[in-house]
Amino acid sequence: MAGFSSFFTPFIDPKLLFLIATGTWAGIYIGAIPGLSVTMAVSILISFTFSWDVLPALALMAGIYMGGVYGGSRTAILLNIPGAPAAIATSLDGYPLAQKGQAGEAIGITTTVSFFGGMLGILVLATAAPIVSEFAVRVQPRDYMMLAILGLLLVGSLSGESLIKGVFAGAFGLLIGTVGMDPLTVADRFTFGFDALRGGISFVAVMIGMFGISEALVQLHDVHKEAVRQNISKIVPSWATILKHMPLSLRCSTIGVIIGALPGTGGDIAALMAYDHAKRTVKNPEVPFGQGAIEGLVAPETANNAAVGGAYIPMMTLGIPGDSVTAIMIGALFIHGLNPGPMLMIDKPDMFWYIVGSLTLGTIFMLIFGLTGIRFFVKVVEMPRTVLLPMIILLSIVGAYAVNNSLTDVYWTLAFGVLGYFMKCYGYQLGPVILGVILSRLLDDNWRRAIISDQESLWLLLKGTLMSPLSIVLFGSIIFLLVSKTALWKRLFTRAA
Amino acid sequence: MREGHIRRPGEAVFSILMAAFSLFLLWKAIEIDGFSALSSSGALPMGAAATMVVSAVLIAMKTLKSEPDKTETFAVNILPRDVWTGVALIIAYAVLLVPLGFLPTSFLFLFVMTKALSGRSWFFCLWTSAVTLVSIYLVFRVVFAVLMPEGIVPEGQILAWFGKLLSGGK
Repeated sequence: MAGFSSFFTPFIDPKLLFLIATGTWAGIYIGAIPGLSVTMAVSILISFTFSWDVLPALALMAGIYMGGVYGGSRTAILLNIPGAPAAIATSLDGYPLAQKGQAGEAIGITTTVSFFGGMLGILVLATAAPIVSEFAVRVQPRDYMMLAILGLLLVGSLSGESLIKGVFAGAFGLLIGTVGMDPLTVADRFTFGFDALRGGISFVAVMIGMFGISEALVQLHDVHKEAVRQNISKIVPSWATILKHMPLSLRCSTIGVIIGALPGTGGDIAALMAYDHAKRTVKNPEVPFGQGAIEGLVAPETANNAAVGGAYIPMMTLGIPGDSVTAIMIGALFIHGLNPGPMLMIDKPDMFWYIVGSLTLGTIFMLIFGLTGIRFFVKVVEMPRTVLLPMIILLSIVGAYAVNNSLTDVYWTLAFGVLGYFMKCYGYQLGPVILGVILSRLLDDNWRRAIISDQESLWLLLKGTLMSPLSIVLFGSIIFLLVSKTALWKRLFTRAA
Repeated sequence: MREGHIRRPGEAVFSILMAAFSLFLLWKAIEIDGFSALSSSGALPMGAAATMVVSAVLIAMKTLKSEPDKTETFAVNILPRDVWTGVALIIAYAVLLVPLGFLPTSFLFLFVMTKALSGRSWFFCLWTSAVTLVSIYLVFRVVFAVLMPEGIVPEGQILAWFGKLLSGGK
């Protein structure tokens, strides 16, 4: 293995070691602050590294990315506000656990499985990168389209009691994602003649509004209640707990790596798919899903960190970003004189192994900082709500503004916050809205590519689908998901059980 | 929050508004490119809006059929005093942010909201608001160099003065 010795470079160079540790620590805390997404952290911090040498720059980036993906889970658990889209599924069971006073246990298991998922993702990156990227290159537009539809069908699983409200919310999210100038034809969509709408509605504004502001408003109902005293006596999970969830963790790591390796689909979709997988396969959780099931934490958190290694695969081998963070990193690598793509692994294998080493070290630091900084972090949520809620609202507003330095984003955040509040009051789930916004572009682009390549014929599209093994699997999964939600299916299987 | 076999106060109006909003969006989606091609700019917007219309109408029908919850009122269970105070302060914040700038608007927001919610002493509210604002300001303005609207406080000059002070006046 040419250049393998570079794997150890970050381990033995004190400066690189320090930078990875700093990046990981910053990533965890930035990822945990609502509104400060890991994408934003990487894009801002990366601008400081352009004048650096390539190795320190890559070291910092690797640490921020790994820490940031994990950090989003903390506020998801403690405040029900995912710090990053990849932590949306984590809040579904993490927050109920915190409400029961088991925040320490939830964060402990989250950290451990994130470490496990992260390591497995890196292992796959190191050993199977060429194979997985070869698989990704064969993925057709219709397959991407079906992948997006599969993601949206998870809406049904996420929307709790009312599937129809989940479908409404998902479609609403898709529609929000189409606002602005169509990138292919430059046609205006839902701009109503306003220039400010031509650039679209910022995803971050929707996310912070729906999850930050609306949650704060909902919590104002109980503002005078005593804050939940978070029980953090048990942070490090027992071996028995880890071993019990290892099979699920392994399965979800695989989901995370594969989804992460597909261009355009990152930790957020991986986490949602893994959560759905856990809901379908774990028959008898100790606590039902949505009410504090440990499996509901293990699945998304393993998958989203495994997706980091996965996202690096197409980036390193094909020059295609696996998600928004790797897209920024590709730009940074070009600035540093590197050309990510198949030739990078041939010409500079040492750089590939250096990145793998940096990610590994970042994952180790994530475990260390994740298990040691919880008590301090938990203190924050033990503050009186009368102080905490105004702070969360202000933090959300500033976070929304910070992404594009745009007041329009602030107004969108506030509007979505108020709308999200009423939607919550009347039983609409907000997760599907965000999922719809994330998947909108992927679905739009690939639907159009697929239908154009099939000469605008639905028949040819279906015929093409039935000719490809991958398409058949995806198509079959969609049909299964739809059928399994029907009353007839449920009746049949209830009787059988 | 909960799912409504029993209709919550204001839920019927909300569901009708959502259905009307969805219909409006479908109309605007059709206006984008009509039914010109399956790959047109309006294809996904039309599909999404049509899904919204169908689901919103079904939700509205189900909501209107359900029994109203007689134990709840809009003013107590949906929009209680603390919530509408919060919403009003958020709207005020959005209005004042540009003319007053980030620092005074945020301080006023934090102070008034903490005072209104907690009813604690002026000193407590002033102190917590100041500490919170300084922390947020340090993270966003100093560490991440996010330029918030300056307004009436000459932030740039103050920061430059501090910078000069720290560098020994050079």
